[in-house]
Amino acid sequence: MSEIIRNQVRQIEVEEKVKGPWQEAWTSFKKSKSALVGSAIVIFFVLIAVFGPFIAPQGINEQNLSMRLQPPSAEFWFGTDDLGRDIFSRILHGARISLTVGLTAVLISAVAGSFLGIIAGYYGRWIDTIISRIFDILLAFPSILLAIAIVSILGPSLQNALIAIAVINIPNFGRLIRSRVLSIKEEEYIHAAKAIGMRNTRILWKHILPNSMTPVIVQGTLAIATAIIEAAALGFLGLGAEAPQPEWGKMLADARMFLLNAPWALIFPGLAIMLTVIGFNLMGDGLRDALDPKMKN
Amino acid sequence: MKKGKVYSLSLVMLLMMALFLAACGADDGDTSTADPSTDSSATNTESDTTDNSSSSTPQVLVFGRGADSVSLDPGTVTDGESFKVTQNLFETLLNFGEQDTTINPGLAKEWEVSEDGLTYTFQLQEGVTFHDGTDFNAEAVIKNVNRWKGGKEEDFYYFNSMFKAEGEDIIKDVTAEGDHTVVFTLSRPQAPFLKNLAMSPFGIASPTAFEAAGDSFGDQPVGTGPFKFVDWKRNDSITIEKFAEYWQEGLPKLDKVIFRSIPDNSARLNELMAGSIDLADGINPSDGKTVEGNSELQLIERPSMNIGYLGLTNTRAPFDNKLVRQAVNYAIDKQAIVDAFFEGRAEVAANPMPSSISGYNDAISPYPYDPEKAKALLAEAGYDGKEIELWAMPVPRPYMPDGAKVAEVIQKNLEDVGIPSKIVTFEWATYLEKAKNGEADAFMLGWTGDNGDADNFIYTLLDKDNIGSNNYAYYSNDEVHELLIKAQSETDENVRNDLYKKAQEIIHEDAPWVPLAHSTPLLAAKAGVQDFKPHPTGSDKLTNVSMK
Repeated sequence: MSEIIRNQVRQIEVEEKVKGPWQEAWTSFKKSKSALVGSAIVIFFVLIAVFGPFIAPQGINEQNLSMRLQPPSAEFWFGTDDLGRDIFSRILHGARISLTVGLTAVLISAVAGSFLGIIAGYYGRWIDTIISRIFDILLAFPSILLAIAIVSILGPSLQNALIAIAVINIPNFGRLIRSRVLSIKEEEYIHAAKAIGMRNTRILWKHILPNSMTPVIVQGTLAIATAIIEAAALGFLGLGAEAPQPEWGKMLADARMFLLNAPWALIFPGLAIMLTVIGFNLMGDGLRDALDPKMKN
Repeated sequence: MKKGKVYSLSLVMLLMMALFLAACGADDGDTSTADPSTDSSATNTESDTTDNSSSSTPQVLVFGRGADSVSLDPGTVTDGESFKVTQNLFETLLNFGEQDTTINPGLAKEWEVSEDGLTYTFQLQEGVTFHDGTDFNAEAVIKNVNRWKGGKEEDFYYFNSMFKAEGEDIIKDVTAEGDHTVVFTLSRPQAPFLKNLAMSPFGIASPTAFEAAGDSFGDQPVGTGPFKFVDWKRNDSITIEKFAEYWQEGLPKLDKVIFRSIPDNSARLNELMAGSIDLADGINPSDGKTVEGNSELQLIERPSMNIGYLGLTNTRAPFDNKLVRQAVNYAIDKQAIVDAFFEGRAEVAANPMPSSISGYNDAISPYPYDPEKAKALLAEAGYDGKEIELWAMPVPRPYMPDGAKVAEVIQKNLEDVGIPSKIVTFEWATYLEKAKNGEADAFMLGWTGDNGDADNFIYTLLDKDNIGSNNYAYYSNDEVHELLIKAQSETDENVRNDLYKKAQEIIHEDAPWVPLAHSTPLLAAKAGVQDFKPHPTGSDKLTNVSMK
């Protein structure tokens, strides 16, 4: 550890005083233990999502009706569910579903939200009014209710749940970026750029967008955690993943009937959801502290 | 300090979210039970006092069931939950046996059939009055029959399905001979005529009341039954109370019955265990052991008269091909389903009706579980591997306690032989409507017999006349149709049974369905509930029930 730090130090010395903002952030991020723990959890689940299906001892839908609701054992590490399927294997597969939904939904909403937010913030006036009012309308609904409504219209499936989660998160990103852009565009360097006749698109791409990215990254990490919970909630309500997909929320819903007889069928998917979400939240908090210039020591 | 705060805060938040998720699930049943809980506690204390009572305190039975009634005018409804109540408000000319479908006297004490099977003469009970004081007599019966006959098909569904054949009225005429004798003249002999008359939809209503009330009779029903209607809170409860002038001395034994709707099976059982209801139907087979292990409760089995099946819409690809339908029959492991989901309280079905019904063909055995054979048949049929929709019912039914789970097993069975499928479900009324319109590829459904006659299963469910009503599979076979029509007017029991046996052979070969199981539905009651005898049709008379 100390050697790494020393290397780091040496490197910094070599590159003279040009300690870039990212590097600075990394230094501060490293200092936060909780952020590191969070990152470790996230990396762990990402590895599971990538390699899980290859190491899973059984398929996601290998039913064995004579082995229903077996407690955890050497053969079934996490026990079996009410159709005699191996819960351990299903959770490994489920990691891929949950993370994919979480990441994709947040990516979509971050891109769409940033785009709308920048336009609204930079051009202002009626464009701003229209976009901001749309955001207000979306935010007026409790987000999960809106998600349920969207899924009901599109029909329940994992893909539609993903779309719904992406849509409900757009205004969060949009408003964040918009307020950031509002302050950036009053900066002197933007005025300077305008004064030398730089076109709007170039100002947006080269100056405003990069300078407003940090809050999006923080918000994005935290939003992944929420998105995973929202996906699980939709799955739990029967509006997300379809049978036999091993989505964690759906596994919870299927298991709740057997809460007293077979708690393991409920506990393990619940733990998986909880750990992933903790991981992303801790990491997000660490990132916020690291990237926020006001928090600098 | 800051880090520690972040740590614990996020932990707490996450635990709360986990709890929130878990709580969401319980909500399913709880929302429905939460509101009535206030007045259930009131009824609870009432029934509690009954428990340790002298005979002077009122006897109140709270009956928990899965859904509310649609209407309390028995002639106009088709759902079992409506009949469950009307069965106690109205009486029919003839009654079924206590726990079977034999014919017994009801409002008619004696009856005669003419040689040609076309004239039925009924002697009516004397001294019977309706709840509103109107006398029950031959005139009242005639007015009821004419009301059913005069109504449109969608108004009096059961009358039209039981007493009409090929568009023609079977009851040609009803006349009175004196005050207490009615004569029914038929246009053609009908073998199950008496059984049909004993069905709950043909409860005799007060003519004064239905003439005055018109369409709203279903909200203020008046019959001759042991109980009279008091109050109906939609989607919550229906209250009926003892009819003091009931014509049978000393009956009913209960003073009041409250039917409460509690949609979720486990929530209903919980209420029973908590003591806020006295009797619950629709007990999950998996909860049977819990009830048996509880000394304050008793487990009651309803005699089985139902069929749960997977219908294969015969007009839609790929099920328009008989070989594919047979393949599906081979592909599904029915025994494993029965063992896993019915806890042994069911038998694997071979025919479209249960073995207790006369005319059952016991020479037919279910298609064995044989995936290899199924694959061979699919190859022979040239099935293209296109994904099908597999419809699973959204609510537990007596013939199918957990449709969604059984669908997952079927989905896997089908996948194993190379038929990919997607499980689809809708809200119950929509589900039935869409299936009726033939929009499903394969759908799970079932049927509980109305009168214990083979006609009520095979003709009702699989004859081409009933496409667009109860023949959800759109199965049409002229040979079967001929056999079934012949059997309807055949009065010789043996000849009739042979016709049904032949029809079952053809149906087995054509495989319009995968018959899954005949289940034994479970009920549970407090140990103090006495003489509750569930009827195989699902409509229970509470006349003799009492509480200790």
